[in-house]
Amino acid sequence: MKNGRWITQTESSTCLSEALAIWVRDLRSEFRTRYAVNAILMFAVTTLIAVSFSIGSFRIAETEKPFLNGVLLWVILVFSALSGLSRSFVKEEEAGTMDVLKLSARPQAVFLGKLFFNLTLLGALELIIVPAFIIMMGYEIELPGCFTAMVVSAGLGLGAGTTIVAAMIAQASARGALFSALSFPLLLPLMIVAIKGCERAAVGTDAAGWPEVRIAVAYIVIMIIMSLFLFPLIWEE
Amino acid sequence: MNKGYALKVEGICKHYSQTLLLDDVSFSVKQGDVLAVTGWNGSGKSTLMRIIAGLVRPSAGRVLMFAGEEVIPKEMRRRFLGMVAPALSLYDELTGVENMEFFCKVRGVPYHRSDSLALMEQVGLGGHEKKRCRDYSSGMKQRLKIVQALVHKPPLLLLDEPGSNLDSKGIKIVENVVAEQREMGITIIASNEKREVDYADRIINLSE
Repeated sequence: MKNGRWITQTESSTCLSEALAIWVRDLRSEFRTRYAVNAILMFAVTTLIAVSFSIGSFRIAETEKPFLNGVLLWVILVFSALSGLSRSFVKEEEAGTMDVLKLSARPQAVFLGKLFFNLTLLGALELIIVPAFIIMMGYEIELPGCFTAMVVSAGLGLGAGTTIVAAMIAQASARGALFSALSFPLLLPLMIVAIKGCERAAVGTDAAGWPEVRIAVAYIVIMIIMSLFLFPLIWEE
Repeated sequence: MNKGYALKVEGICKHYSQTLLLDDVSFSVKQGDVLAVTGWNGSGKSTLMRIIAGLVRPSAGRVLMFAGEEVIPKEMRRRFLGMVAPALSLYDELTGVENMEFFCKVRGVPYHRSDSLALMEQVGLGGHEKKRCRDYSSGMKQRLKIVQALVHKPPLLLLDEPGSNLDSKGIKIVENVVAEQREMGITIIASNEKREVDYADRIINLSE
């Protein structure tokens, strides 16, 4: 081992570089195990197919379509996210790697790394499910830009909300039930805003400044800043 | 790295429910020291190591690490320590080299694949670089844990049962690591294994 201490240089890591290392590691692990991807996609695809076959685009009155399509889309997205996003922290607990991660990275970097990972999963979910939903449900959207901004911003909010809850429940028993129970009240305001925003985009009501998108962006900022302050308290014993 | 590191453990107590596990444990170690912590099973050796590492909060007392005259803040201490313990797991779905890559990058250590391969060769993991850790034997995992603890050249090395699952070659690696650490930092070994306790200059018995 004399030559074993081969690393002669060290550079100070930044919070972002640590977060990126965790994000890449999580992506690599997920690519091999596919625990979260399988859970999320199976739920999303199953519910989308069930909804499109049972309701489809013909059983909803034209006047109700903008609202009900928004509701159905966000029910699918939120509950799909709830089915798999807790894995980011739970798998560390189950694999016994929590301690080695605590020793390696600062808490804020862990939170950001896990947030990036969850956002990547959510982004992939939205890329698959949203276009499929639009096609299968005959979802007509008058303001595609507003709709896209709403889906992206509410997706980011959904990722931020579920990541901090996943951290809170990781060391508890009955994690699945706790995750849904704690996430739901936290995500409900965002869901309502997202449904309203999608309805507005579908109808084509061009309210100045897209208020729902702005509320979702405010939600993301508040959630991430609060999480960065709170996460060290959750992460350390 | 050569600031003259020291560690001071002051009046550490740890309760679990009604049980008092650690009762007023105090000691100091300085750069170059090797300290062994011994005691019966359940006497709190691993808990003390976890308290020093900052993974467990003590019920009373404090741990101070110094770089020269300066106290290293608790939240920064992880940068200055490496730990090997039975409870620490590595990432099973990654290969040995990928684990090393992760620990280098997350700790801000420049990563070079060729260096990693050379190091793996030195700890007897040559030829197993592309195997995922889940396929490693327990001894191979222990060797990788040792490498993981050393990638950032920590001045404080915490070794909890470092020889567990290791064969004679692996034990020799531990011996060399302790000898090398003696020149550049502090080593604390928690073990009841005579061979490992013999590496130490001082012994603290938690059962007394």
